[in-house]
Amino acid sequence: MSLILILIPLIVSLFVLLTRPAGVRAIALGTALANLAVSIFATVGFNSDGSQNHTFSIPWLPQAGISFSLGMDGVSLLMVLLTNLLAPLIVLSSHSRAFDNEPRYYGLVLMMLGALNGVFLAQDGLLFYIFYELALIPIYFICAIWGGQDRIRITLKFFIYTFVGSLFMLVALLYVYLQTNVEGHHSFAWDALVRTQLSPEAANWVLIGFFLAFAVKMPVFPFHTWQPDTYVTSPTGGTMLLSGIMLKMGVYGVIRWMVPLAPEAMHFWTPIFISLAVVGIVYASIIAVKQSDLKRLIAYSSIAHVGLIAAGVLAWNKAGVQGSLLQMLNHGINVVGLFFVVDLIERRIGTRTLADMGGIAKSAPKFAALFMLVMLGAVAVPLTNGFPGEFLLLNGVWSYNVWLGGVAGLTIIFGAVYMLRAYGLAMFGEANRETTQFQDVNANEWVVLGVVAGLVVVLGFFPQLVLNLTDGSVNKILGAVQF
Amino acid sequence: MTALLILFFTAIIVLFTGLTKRRHFLQPIALVGSLLALAGIVFAPSYGWKDVYASMFHFDNFALAFSGVVVLATALIIGLSGWGFRDLSDTLGDNYGLILFSLCGALVMSSFTNMVMLFLGIEILSIPLYVLAGSRRESLSGNEAALKYFLMGAFTTGILLFGMALIYGASGSFDLRAIAAAVSDGRHSAGMLNAGMVILIIGLGFKVSAVPFHFWAPDVYQGSPNLVTAFMATVVKTAGFAAFYRLFSMAFPGAESFWHLPVAIVAALTMTVANLTAIFQTDFKRMMAYSSISHAGYLMMAILAIGVTGGDRALLFYALTYSLATICAFGAYMVVAEQNENGSFATFNGLSKKQPLLAAVMAIAMLSLAGIPPTAGFFGKYFLFTAAFAKYPWLVVLAVVNSAISIYYYFKIIIAMYFSRDEVKFDHDVVFPASIRWAVLVGLGLIALLTVIPGSVYALI
Repeated sequence: MSLILILIPLIVSLFVLLTRPAGVRAIALGTALANLAVSIFATVGFNSDGSQNHTFSIPWLPQAGISFSLGMDGVSLLMVLLTNLLAPLIVLSSHSRAFDNEPRYYGLVLMMLGALNGVFLAQDGLLFYIFYELALIPIYFICAIWGGQDRIRITLKFFIYTFVGSLFMLVALLYVYLQTNVEGHHSFAWDALVRTQLSPEAANWVLIGFFLAFAVKMPVFPFHTWQPDTYVTSPTGGTMLLSGIMLKMGVYGVIRWMVPLAPEAMHFWTPIFISLAVVGIVYASIIAVKQSDLKRLIAYSSIAHVGLIAAGVLAWNKAGVQGSLLQMLNHGINVVGLFFVVDLIERRIGTRTLADMGGIAKSAPKFAALFMLVMLGAVAVPLTNGFPGEFLLLNGVWSYNVWLGGVAGLTIIFGAVYMLRAYGLAMFGEANRETTQFQDVNANEWVVLGVVAGLVVVLGFFPQLVLNLTDGSVNKILGAVQF
Repeated sequence: MTALLILFFTAIIVLFTGLTKRRHFLQPIALVGSLLALAGIVFAPSYGWKDVYASMFHFDNFALAFSGVVVLATALIIGLSGWGFRDLSDTLGDNYGLILFSLCGALVMSSFTNMVMLFLGIEILSIPLYVLAGSRRESLSGNEAALKYFLMGAFTTGILLFGMALIYGASGSFDLRAIAAAVSDGRHSAGMLNAGMVILIIGLGFKVSAVPFHFWAPDVYQGSPNLVTAFMATVVKTAGFAAFYRLFSMAFPGAESFWHLPVAIVAALTMTVANLTAIFQTDFKRMMAYSSISHAGYLMMAILAIGVTGGDRALLFYALTYSLATICAFGAYMVVAEQNENGSFATFNGLSKKQPLLAAVMAIAMLSLAGIPPTAGFFGKYFLFTAAFAKYPWLVVLAVVNSAISIYYYFKIIIAMYFSRDEVKFDHDVVFPASIRWAVLVGLGLIALLTVIPGSVYALI
């Protein structure tokens, strides 16, 4: 089952890129939906006690201890669900725009989907690294081909930044690999890597190597400078892939690889890492408040939200890790909704500047209501999906350190400020010539926003659905790795 | 040995066919000859051809594997030559003949067990190349390239001979195993041996264009015909490193503590200087020249991994993937250069719209050269880095930083092909010969194959 999730999108992607068939939109949507169906099917009868489900393993390079081994515990399953849930929404939302050379666009999106699934399913260190990088190539092409102003410089910066980050991870991974010993050979298998005891000094370097890779990807302050420009210049589909799914690779990497491989050094570095994350929350929130471009505002809000998620994970207690997992799902859903809203407005009135909007609620009431729900989720109002996630996260950071928890809590206040300001400026106030003729949502857009808004409400009422899925795995990981 | 004989006789047949009017047979004959030689290597008997000619050659697995790489690369280059030698029709037979003779030298360089054979191999490889580099007789830059290459080559030859003489003086033998024995039991004069090794490193450094002995490479690469440049960048480099590895692993493992440091310094300099210089290039062939120098720096890490399990495999795999990617890149470039000769990056603008296949080949070649997963080039770097990591972690970190730098210039081509919104004029009526298309596709297929089963090299050595 794990293999299918990776192979379907990759094979269809190659087919689409090579043969350029007609009706590629339908093919892409069908593939994404098929993958969603497979991942839902994988959830049925899932053993959530923390053991590996749906494992698949064949030796790839047996002499070097590399195997193509996949599997999912609760954490992986949640990420796979997130990926395959968002993929159809991203494909569907791309239907609203015409791209030149559509086979190439949808082919790259599907390649990205396969690689992302691979990242979350890989149980072998090198395989993880390869998928982690494979995901970078299609998104780079998507952003650089169909992006906006100054896209070539911005996307090259993005590529080099993330690639350099992950090269440090490769060196760290190689070091740990060379310390493993499975019957006289080295091995990249997760179990073997985790079992390795590192000297305190080596553990420091390994931890830093991994942290650089994941901190750039999430991004954590001060490694975030590529992010706002890249989000803004990318086509909306690319921005959704980046913010909805790709940055979760970084958080997932921390839970699955960074902390378990080098727990020896965590005691020293955790306060520094969490402080960076918390600084990033406040810094990005303050900048978000001042933004006039709606897309850039959401980009900065994303840094703030991810900062909180990172802080929760690094606190490494039950509430923090569970909260981060829940919030990764929620943030993915919300941010895809928000970027879709931006794209919808931009298509209608040709601008993303808040000052040029106003009064949209009057001419498009359905749109206003759906936007309101998504926005409330992002603000973490009780009974929307954001609330339980942020509550758990703050609880986790608070029990690590009261002061850091207090500062991180500012995110809720700031979040309310900038989101409500943006909503107010865009939807209420004086209507201008453009916004009086604002068309309400069409069927296609209704589906995307409706699904997102529905999930905001459902997950707000029943966060336990998600938490139960990951509970066993989180207990197991926290039990095994302590520092 | 079989392969060597097949290649030699094919070269003679090609030379004589060139004298007749049937020039259109030249490419097929050369191609068939090199494929037969490849078959001779693949099906080489495991019992025969060891220690032939009074222990001058030893066709062990190492020799066979590297011979296979150079013969394969040559076969692909001959496949690409459908056009490449078109402007040289009066000397066409000579060109194919010289390439095959040069290849014979490459085979000798990967199978010698005696320093005399090493010297002969290098000369057999080099002399035809001096002629090939200047084979466009009217071209000014071609003449410059040939003269530079010849002068530097002759100079290097002197240096190499001097080094060998010192080694002979120190150990009393030209035979690699006898030298190794003398080195390890201490019956040698240390000063002379050390001086000899340093001079050999310098001489081989010239041949593989390592910094600071690389200054000839960019001009020679730029001035030579495209196919000859591709041959120099792949076959000559692979053979040079095979010889380097073979010499130092068979003769000097006992003196490791001495020669490791200079090699490590040269490796570090080579990758760093070449990458930093490549960033500023605006001409495709010069960029590829610096890229090939930087790859020489990475390959030097394999020399430092002598004695580590997998060092030779890493060298083999890296040389193979590097050669395939370089040949694919030159194949695509040749078709582009046919339309627009100036060779700047701008000639690639918008290629993905006009020639999606060529653009894809070029893009994958660039990704592989940059070592980006999951291309075969990544596994090449991975094997090399793992082999060198235990002894030289600082060098691996430097190599990692350098491969990050290299993205910048490799991606310039990809950016021009895919993201640039202005387009070059590309004449659709020009149909490029089927052999070019096939050679490029075979190269691409092999890169894909090495990506899926990187373990295949483990069977070879």
